[in-house]
Amino acid sequence: MPPREGIYGLLAEFNTPGELVHATEQAHQAGYRRMECYTPYPVEEAAAALRFHKTRVPLLCLLGGIIGLITAFLMQTWISVWSYPLNIAGRPLFSWPAFIIPAYEWTILFAGLSTAFGMFALNGLPQLYHPLFNAPNFRNGATTDKFFLCLEAHDPRFSIIEARSFLERFAPISVVEVKH
Amino acid sequence: MSSAHENHGGISTHGHNGPRALPASLNAPSELLAWRTRALMIAAAFALLSLFFAFTHEGRNHILRAYLMGYMTCFNFAGGGLVVLMLQYVTGGKWGLLLRRPLEAMTRTLPLVALMYIPILIPTLGKHLYQWIRYPDAASTNNALAQGLITKEQAITANFKRPMLNPYSMIVEYCIIFAVLLTLMYLLNKWSLNRDADTLRGTELSYERWRTRFENLSGPGILIYVVMLTIGAIVWIKSLDVTWYSSIWGLQFLVAQGYAVLALGILTVILLSRYEPLKTLLRTTEQHDLGKFLFAFVMLNIYLTFAEFLIIWSGNLPDEIPWYLSRIHGGWWTICTLDFVCHWLVPFCLLLSRDLKRSKQKMIWITCFMLFARCVDMFWLIEPNFSDAAGNLHIAGNIGILAYITVPATVIALWAAYYMTQLLERPLVNVNDPHLEEMMEPEHAH
Repeated sequence: MPPREGIYGLLAEFNTPGELVHATEQAHQAGYRRMECYTPYPVEEAAAALRFHKTRVPLLCLLGGIIGLITAFLMQTWISVWSYPLNIAGRPLFSWPAFIIPAYEWTILFAGLSTAFGMFALNGLPQLYHPLFNAPNFRNGATTDKFFLCLEAHDPRFSIIEARSFLERFAPISVVEVKH
Repeated sequence: MSSAHENHGGISTHGHNGPRALPASLNAPSELLAWRTRALMIAAAFALLSLFFAFTHEGRNHILRAYLMGYMTCFNFAGGGLVVLMLQYVTGGKWGLLLRRPLEAMTRTLPLVALMYIPILIPTLGKHLYQWIRYPDAASTNNALAQGLITKEQAITANFKRPMLNPYSMIVEYCIIFAVLLTLMYLLNKWSLNRDADTLRGTELSYERWRTRFENLSGPGILIYVVMLTIGAIVWIKSLDVTWYSSIWGLQFLVAQGYAVLALGILTVILLSRYEPLKTLLRTTEQHDLGKFLFAFVMLNIYLTFAEFLIIWSGNLPDEIPWYLSRIHGGWWTICTLDFVCHWLVPFCLLLSRDLKRSKQKMIWITCFMLFARCVDMFWLIEPNFSDAAGNLHIAGNIGILAYITVPATVIALWAAYYMTQLLERPLVNVNDPHLEEMMEPEHAH
């Protein structure tokens, strides 16, 4: 992969979550979609302003669960009926009630694992480098007491001049260009 | 940080972020009166329909069985309300405060529920339900065996279980169960009013004192309740088949009560949230929490029911499996499947969805459906105990079986009317509780 160059995005710094949420909401209305909020603690309103709640994690969880259920049930069926048939007290080889508990356990296991790892994957983790850490104020503030909104350059709506003047309307502490 | 930053971040009080105001009146809305009239009308209509069944021999038998089902459903609401009320006192949490007054109203129906069992205590009626009332001593049991009216196994187990199952101990058990339950109900309800009237209300001292007091009663109360419920479930329902035994029976009823009571509680608060004060008090956050709790009960319910089945199926012993055989064979497979689908499959699949748990309208539908599922389950538990129905579900020449729709509908509608009367008695929220402040915060407050 060739090294990426140019601007990653514009980073606006705010002192309060209220200002951040307001700016994010306005940016969404202005048509920006590729943007992200960075806060020292979870801010539900920022997530709502980003329209964040619809992620694909629940879908991954459901798919994982269904795959676990089917795998465990078919595996037990295969073992009991074809691979190693055993006559247990004269019961039919395909004794489905006995298969349900392991199938249930596998459902939970697969759903849990696919949720956790799916969440990591959708977050792009593990990630050893992130351009935002090039901004010194981000390094100092993002985990302590500052609230950041980053408009990302790969948004088709993004242009450096317009985005800067847009962000400055909200009187942030600073707006900095972040390099890749 | 530099001083420029500090200047900027002074005041950030956004209007929508402050706590909301508590509604002026916390009393139940007067619309409940209209709902109660409607419930009474439903009860009257179904009572008239039930009268038709009284003219046939089959119908008369079924009326009594169906009445038992209606009684047990109401007991599940009243007793289950009591145990969930105690549960929310020992666990704490906002969901408990939200449901507390509806749960208290459910417990205050216990006197009515106690009265409802009295007809069954009369031996001339009870003997149509219970073999051990029909043949109350060893001599009559052995006589019935000699005449071929009961099987040898029924005779042996009935004689063995005689100390618990006979017309006299039945009355004693009834008195003990309701004495204990009514005492718990009385104390919890009385203290709840005293708590609001506390002169120190709103202070840390008052919160702590009442919390401790309720916890000290509720902790042992839950344990005692489970024992009482187990006795009740065995004598009232399980002993319909005198040969049947299962150690998970009481727990199964307990979980089923949690299932029904949560469904009814959620239904109550959502329906009441169309009007003040619950319009303000019911936030989506708490509704979502209750939905998750309900989901847990859906899961636990199937877990216990299926565990019982799996153990008996694995053991495959001739003295255990007839109970299931008479509930699977001869047409009962449809009811058994319906029970599984309504009781677990549908609520489970639907309650997985986050959006559904947060939607008021959809939760109304799903909780009503779950209450219906409880009735299907109760039908499946009760009717196959009787020799004319065991392994032989039929409607032709057995039109009286439809009493299972009309009679429980009458009983439950009557109970619902009384429940609404009790709801009207008190403000819909307990104000001397620290969680109230949290509930008045706007949603997603940080």
